[in-house]
Amino acid sequence: MAQARKPQANRPAKRKALDPVTLEVIRNALPAVANEMAADLQRTSYNMMIYEVRDFCTALIDPDGKLVSQNVGGVSHFVADLGVIITDGMQRYGRKGFKPGDVIITNHQAVAGQHLNNVVIYAPYFYKGELLMFMMVRAHWIDIGGMSTGFGAGPTVADPWLEGLQLDQLKIYEAGTLNDTLYRVLKDNIRFPESSLGDMKSQMAACRLAAKRMDEMFDKYGRETIRSAIETIFDETELKCRNVVSQLPDGVYEAESAIDDDGVLKGEPVPIRAKVTIKKGEMTIDLSGCSAERKSGVNSRTLAGARVAYKALTGPNDPVNEGSFRALNVIIPEGNVMMARYPAPMSSWSIMIPMVVDTIVKALAKPMRDRVPAGHHGLLGGAVVFFGVHPKTKRRFVVQSIEGGGWGGRPYEDGESATVSVCQGDVRNGSIEGIELKCPVLVEGRALRTDSAGAGKYRGGLGLDMQVKNLVEGRWNFEQTRRTVCPPWGLWGGGDGDPSAYLLRLPGENDFKMMVGAHIPVPLHASAIVQTGGGGGWGNPHERDPEKVRADVLEEFVSREAARDKYGVVLRDDLTVDQAATRQLRSQQR
Amino acid sequence: MLVVAIDIGGTFTDLLGFDSKAGTFVQAKSLTTPAQLVQGIIDCLRKSGIEASAIDELIHGSTIAINTLIERKGANTGLIVTRGTRDVYIIGRGNRPEAYNLLFHRHRPLVPRRATREVDERVLASGETYEPLRRASVEDACRALKEQGVEAVAVCFLHSYLDPSHEQQAGDVVRKMLPDAYLSLSHDILREYREFERMSTTVVNAYIGPKVGGYVKSLKSSLGNIGFNGNLSIMRSNGGVMTPEVATERPVAMMESGPVGGIIASAQVGQALGHTNVISFDMGGTTAKASLIKDGEPTLAPGYYVGGYASGHPVMLPMIDVVEVGAGGGSIAWIDDIGALKVGPQSAGADPGPICYRGGGGEPTITDANVVLGRLDPDNFLGGQMKLDAAGAARGIAEKIAKPLKIETVAAAQAIIEIAIAKMSLAVREVSVQKGYDPRDFALVASGGAGPLHVIAIARELHIPTVIVPQFPSHFSALGMLAADERHDFIRTYYSDLASLDFGNLMKVYEEMREGARGSLRNTKNAEERLQLDLRYVGQDFTLSVPVAVKDLRKGDRKAVRTAFDKLYEHRYAHSSPEDPVEMVNMRFSVIGKRPTLKFPRLAKGRGSAISHHRDVYFTDAKKALRSPVYQRARLTAGTRVKGPALIQEHGTTTVLFQKDVCTVAPSGELIIKVGGA
Repeated sequence: MAQARKPQANRPAKRKALDPVTLEVIRNALPAVANEMAADLQRTSYNMMIYEVRDFCTALIDPDGKLVSQNVGGVSHFVADLGVIITDGMQRYGRKGFKPGDVIITNHQAVAGQHLNNVVIYAPYFYKGELLMFMMVRAHWIDIGGMSTGFGAGPTVADPWLEGLQLDQLKIYEAGTLNDTLYRVLKDNIRFPESSLGDMKSQMAACRLAAKRMDEMFDKYGRETIRSAIETIFDETELKCRNVVSQLPDGVYEAESAIDDDGVLKGEPVPIRAKVTIKKGEMTIDLSGCSAERKSGVNSRTLAGARVAYKALTGPNDPVNEGSFRALNVIIPEGNVMMARYPAPMSSWSIMIPMVVDTIVKALAKPMRDRVPAGHHGLLGGAVVFFGVHPKTKRRFVVQSIEGGGWGGRPYEDGESATVSVCQGDVRNGSIEGIELKCPVLVEGRALRTDSAGAGKYRGGLGLDMQVKNLVEGRWNFEQTRRTVCPPWGLWGGGDGDPSAYLLRLPGENDFKMMVGAHIPVPLHASAIVQTGGGGGWGNPHERDPEKVRADVLEEFVSREAARDKYGVVLRDDLTVDQAATRQLRSQQR
Repeated sequence: MLVVAIDIGGTFTDLLGFDSKAGTFVQAKSLTTPAQLVQGIIDCLRKSGIEASAIDELIHGSTIAINTLIERKGANTGLIVTRGTRDVYIIGRGNRPEAYNLLFHRHRPLVPRRATREVDERVLASGETYEPLRRASVEDACRALKEQGVEAVAVCFLHSYLDPSHEQQAGDVVRKMLPDAYLSLSHDILREYREFERMSTTVVNAYIGPKVGGYVKSLKSSLGNIGFNGNLSIMRSNGGVMTPEVATERPVAMMESGPVGGIIASAQVGQALGHTNVISFDMGGTTAKASLIKDGEPTLAPGYYVGGYASGHPVMLPMIDVVEVGAGGGSIAWIDDIGALKVGPQSAGADPGPICYRGGGGEPTITDANVVLGRLDPDNFLGGQMKLDAAGAARGIAEKIAKPLKIETVAAAQAIIEIAIAKMSLAVREVSVQKGYDPRDFALVASGGAGPLHVIAIARELHIPTVIVPQFPSHFSALGMLAADERHDFIRTYYSDLASLDFGNLMKVYEEMREGARGSLRNTKNAEERLQLDLRYVGQDFTLSVPVAVKDLRKGDRKAVRTAFDKLYEHRYAHSSPEDPVEMVNMRFSVIGKRPTLKFPRLAKGRGSAISHHRDVYFTDAKKALRSPVYQRARLTAGTRVKGPALIQEHGTTTVLFQKDVCTVAPSGELIIKVGGA
């Protein structure tokens, strides 16, 4: 199946004429419903993947699988990807197979295409007896059995059975009655039932809330008006995106990158290739050149890479709906790493996506020179994961935090430092005090790394070092995509940013050593450093104002040596700029 | 007793005095003079004719704190932190709330990295000292900061909310070595865990400290010079007032005091009329603000982000919870690139202003739409001081909105208002429905120059049955300040499972908080105290602040605490888990020095018509204007009933009554409207 889509600019217009007021009011009200669901879920959820990492999405989907509205914020790679669940659910149950009071649970990879921790709960919405919509919440459970604890099972899990419980469009509630058998199966096969089933409760409450809001809207405007408004909103959203793309010169633009390996087959880079064709306001993103599916959990079935890039370039701050991607064609052939076939493992499904997004953006650097930044650290964050059982309290603990890295320099300013990837939006790191209150560790430092950013006329942002000492025995997960073969790139003559790494120092040792791997046991009082990458630089570093370089040296973002070697700026001992020596050095380095 | 409130706004400085013996109000207004704020206050006082020596209390609200931060005109500030945490303030939480924006901005630190100095010390999450404070390292830090010429120093150590002794010792060193620097210790400002948010709050305090502290001091001495010897009180973000001494130490507490006055006034007016549950709705020139008052109490948010969530500075001090939307009288109506009609958030402001102001404004605004609909009288704006250009407003709306949408001018004007109403209704919904409250159980109190013009339409949208238009709707903020109590809020992180909570120890912490709290009150007689515990189910992050009775804690009544939490949770989120374990995170303590309720004068009873003339006004039907009576509010007497359709005009605003609305004038002067279509 090639995921090519035909644009649908000229659909038959059998709809009610709408006055501009009603249309605008409904346009604002629909995303407000999804956002209210999200706020409710976030406040009542039990696991940090939801309340800190915002690893969830909420949406209203019509019975054809079209996205009516989705929440704003949270992780980006869930963009408009719940429709396939409904298309599949409608095939299984049929329109008549859903009843008021049904709640469906599903995470099956053949359709959802993501790791099993991402559990979808949805409920059909009936108005005056007619099935009009589905209220949906996808959320990352802290555990779904198998090897799934925490951020997910990691790339080395061979198949979905090892990963965890597979739930394929099952009714956990049927017409309002709990399916007790299914509930007990869930409860007995996950490690933290109070957390995961607590989250399930929150997911259902969010769906109920949305149903209440939709009742109010349908009561007020009537079924036909809302239906027509939704269609009109789709068309207008599509038009807005087209207007942006039609400003770009037609042409074919390409870029490529790679991650070091897939976590299983060491030393073999996984290629990412993006071919973007612009033609009269339409964009085609062809990812056929990316790796074929792997014997590793980096597989997925997702259009997210293409969609996140397109969204960022066409209308980053507008709400998402079905129209947002109608003028986008995505080509990913079956058997591609992002269109993997069941039962290929997908336990680390999202780790390549920030790099895919960045590669597509890079392809467009030429036609969008004034808007495209250099490459960012590109990883789903420096994941800090240390876990074990406290010897005194016998309680399990998991330290979890996502540390940001550097973003690329921009056509007119420096990149931001220590910020989460393009897929992670409003994801927050764990506060040091919060981590230490909950878990037996000592955070020895969270610090920007001098010289980690790519040099440039506008330099990249800095990566950071998070250093943690364990006060009881436990295990570290040092699993993360690495990109030493393809560090965060500079643009237009800018330098590359520093790659990320994990370092470990055992008690009694003097030096930190690079580490890779999952579930690595460490004795008391070892120290680990999670390093995140820096952003690439934009433009020739020699064009950077020497006074700005000096300011960076004063701030210790850039060392005096790097100022000389990378920027050609000579500073005197009192750290003032030696203009003559700088001019001379810059002409030599040219 | 003579109490005077002076409120400095962006454009005007407002004065409202109330003499409780005589039962009379004094009003004055003068232009704000940003360069000489203190002189502006003295001038305004002079203009009012009030004798400074006769004033018993002067309450002052000012935007100086927030402006100093937003305009980045604060002090050269240094920061002293625990070794290893130099960059915590720059890194923050590492998030990007604008998920798809590749060109996002993080907060811009107020302290450069080179003025952030690490010292040797460490306290653990258990409160134990892991490494004692090394004095010499603080001395080194001070020397470096001295060399950089810092004027203010913030100190924030890890876990200082548990054990502040290292911060106190470091503070002693700073005072000795940098005697002229303004000093803020994080545990003095906020004893709550989460180092970045506490650090940011402390840095903001230090950054604005010298300027705002100096301002408060100079205000006090200037007032003294003209004979004032009453009490000076400063408005703070939590809706209370504080003494100048507290304000000088914690200027960050007055950061968001701007919108607060009107909300307190709403609570008071509501209560006096028997409505303890009200929603305050304030619509001015650029924004509209909604805030919920339950049982006579404004709701507090635990903190906020100055400059917005995406790239603002966190300040984790309680402030009155306000939802603000970009819809005010000056908000511009426009057509976007796909032909959809939008209103705001851009505003024509006061300059150039709406088209009808004749100040050179060319973009149609909400005010212009009101003129076209006949709801604003062009000949009687601001008591007739300003003639509005009705033809210009109609022309602007016709060209910029009606023509592209292919509708009539009146229909376009109505569309503009309706879109603004929908936007503002979402704000009212956000403060009520989203917090688990049904707006139908509340009365809506309208203030601001544009509030009474639009409030009925919002009430209809949300089925709110009662609307109150108070006295002085366009001076409402100053009125609220006259009624503000003295209030201080304190927080202490106390992390424990509820099941194993040591109530004896908790009471010790409580007594300690209480001791410190009462010390900062000017008037401890009849002071009210409130205690809340921040609780959550084990595993959750967000907490709910649950009010608890001191006697329950003293008895160690675990069950009472538990039940109160489950009940509040159920109310807020429509589900709860009474079988799951609960943990405590913070204790919150407030002391409130109550002010005697002001007794406002009553309206005279009388006869005679308050109708001055009739006008054609468009209400719900854009095709047909209704001939409507225009009442002069100043001539209304107690008990008068006015039926809609009608307009009630006064100096700063107009109240619009739709068909079937019935307005009764209360003996104390408020307009109480039974909303017909709600």
